[in-house]
Amino acid sequence: MGQLLDVKGLKTQFFTQDGIVHAVNGISYTVNEGETLGIVGESGCGKSVTAMSLLRLIPSPPGRIVAGSALFRGHDILALPPADLRHVRGRRIAMIFQEPSAALSPLLRVGDQMVEVLRTHGDMTDEAARRIATGWLHKVGIPDPEERMLAYPFHLSGGMIQRVMIAMAMMLEPDLLIADEPTTALDVTIQAQILDLLRATRQSDTALILITHDMGVVWEMCDRIVVMYASRIVEEAPCEQLFHAPGHPYTRALLDSLQSMNQAGSRLTAIEGQVPSPLAYPPGCRFAARCPHAMDRCRREQPPHQRIGPDHHSACFLAGTFGATRGPRKEAGS
Amino acid sequence: MTEPLLRIRDLKTWYPVHRGVLARLAGHVRAVDGVSLEVYPGETLGLVGESGCGKSTLARTIMGLEHPTSGEMRLGGAALWPRRHRDTLRLRRRMQMVFQDPYSSLNPRMTILDILAEGLIEHGLIRVRDREAAAAALLAEVGMEPSVLHRYPHEFSGGQRQRISIARAMALRPELVLCDEAVSALDVSVRAQVLNLLLNLRTSHNLAYLFIAHDLGVIRHIAHRVAVMYLGVLVETGPVAEVLDDPVHPYTRALLSAIPVPYSRGRERIVLSGDVPSAARPPSGCRFHTRCPYAVTKCAIETPAMEPFGAPSARRSVACFRATELPGASARIVKPSRN
Repeated sequence: MGQLLDVKGLKTQFFTQDGIVHAVNGISYTVNEGETLGIVGESGCGKSVTAMSLLRLIPSPPGRIVAGSALFRGHDILALPPADLRHVRGRRIAMIFQEPSAALSPLLRVGDQMVEVLRTHGDMTDEAARRIATGWLHKVGIPDPEERMLAYPFHLSGGMIQRVMIAMAMMLEPDLLIADEPTTALDVTIQAQILDLLRATRQSDTALILITHDMGVVWEMCDRIVVMYASRIVEEAPCEQLFHAPGHPYTRALLDSLQSMNQAGSRLTAIEGQVPSPLAYPPGCRFAARCPHAMDRCRREQPPHQRIGPDHHSACFLAGTFGATRGPRKEAGS
Repeated sequence: MTEPLLRIRDLKTWYPVHRGVLARLAGHVRAVDGVSLEVYPGETLGLVGESGCGKSTLARTIMGLEHPTSGEMRLGGAALWPRRHRDTLRLRRRMQMVFQDPYSSLNPRMTILDILAEGLIEHGLIRVRDREAAAAALLAEVGMEPSVLHRYPHEFSGGQRQRISIARAMALRPELVLCDEAVSALDVSVRAQVLNLLLNLRTSHNLAYLFIAHDLGVIRHIAHRVAVMYLGVLVETGPVAEVLDDPVHPYTRALLSAIPVPYSRGRERIVLSGDVPSAARPPSGCRFHTRCPYAVTKCAIETPAMEPFGAPSARRSVACFRATELPGASARIVKPSRN
């Protein structure tokens, strides 16, 4: 698999009255052609800003990308002039958002919004665009697509609108689809439908960046996972590796707290304390205050990323040395 | 067996829908449409279902925040409906609620002290001069420092606000606390802290919870029994481990299989087609028949009632005509013993 996207040292800050919010604080990752990369973390960890920065959708002011590069097929999309950026946005990299109903215009019919996208990016007649759009609505499992083309977004349920968003994102056959919490606003039975649909994007060779806080969703969907904590990447690993042999205390604590949830009655393993404020991050490791393994050094120095296995990196001085392999019901040979 | 603390019989909460310039009554949204359940002292009943199934309306009706259309609700023998203002005060001492959104459920203009002491003073349980000590004691119970008493809600994180909401609910020493998605808005690491707190309080105060959540991991952890709701009605109830590990009703099965679970590979998944129908025009017969993979003609015509399932000691009930003939069901049928 070739490399599709190479993000290096991305730093996005928001300049507010209270000071500088370090929303994304120097992160690097890659996405290969056709793979599904999960970005996980809790609210406020910077995972959405990471994605918005890629498409230069950060509202400015107050936000600004202050450093970093993002090579997409060799071209730095963070340095592209606006005219060239338009050829990348939507056409090569598409995005779907958490609140599907806020992502469509409430004043225009669904079909008209889809046709607009097609005709902006491709030279085609209204009639041809309509045919393609209707075909895509059918593909994403919307009943009576001809009728739905004439509907306004408020006529459709949340699940239906998210299907429309996926159809809109996929109909230009992008190389990369960024999905920011695509199922968080939806019920589980509808989530299952949407995840099935996103899984189908892999058959069309579109790479997927899936941003979520739900570890169950990443487990089912992703090839590789990036874990973010307090605006930084703390660990990066292939899916099975991350779940069975986490290399960072934060990842481990997250998995432990999920795990204990499934053992009825016992006390839950909680991560005590709180995430530090992005206005004033501590000098050393940002997880040190909540980490059971923290040493003096962790509070002074920022731990660099260390390689602990193939494609497996962790930003911890103790990377890979604390705790043994974990995970329940581990079948022999798996 | 002990008497139930909360007993609900055939409760209905319908909202009128008005249409046109004359606002003529065009129908009803049947948010809760004939629910019966019990919660015993010290017990936690988990209530699960998707958005719009009526689980919040049910809790709000019990609490008296919505008026029931018909049915019976009793708390420890006292009727919850109809009631006068004086009854409401008395009942609220025995029953409190924790809401989902810790950002909108605390008055931003009140200090933590005012929020915690208001109920105590209103009910005449403490004198005004004792309120700081009483509020500090409540904060200690939820693991917070008394130094925050004079601060305002906006100064706290979501997890801390939810602790304050819980402290407020505990102030009157209720027997029953209704938790409506009380931990859903919290991140995983903080959610565990708050759940631990709720577990501790349950033990120390012998509390009963009616615990609404869509996260079945949370339900498995905190609930003793679980009730599954679909479109205004209950479809399955029973002990939490039995229902979650071995669901009977086709909706419960689909709901469980739809949830992505880490560390499990190759699970069979039932993906339901279509959306939840509108509660203003619920389907005829069994409400799930439009999406049910096992539906037969009868399901569209007749409405299945909640019937005991398996051995009487299992205390399970299911509302499905085909409960005993569905795949995997035969293995667990225990002949009901005559007693």
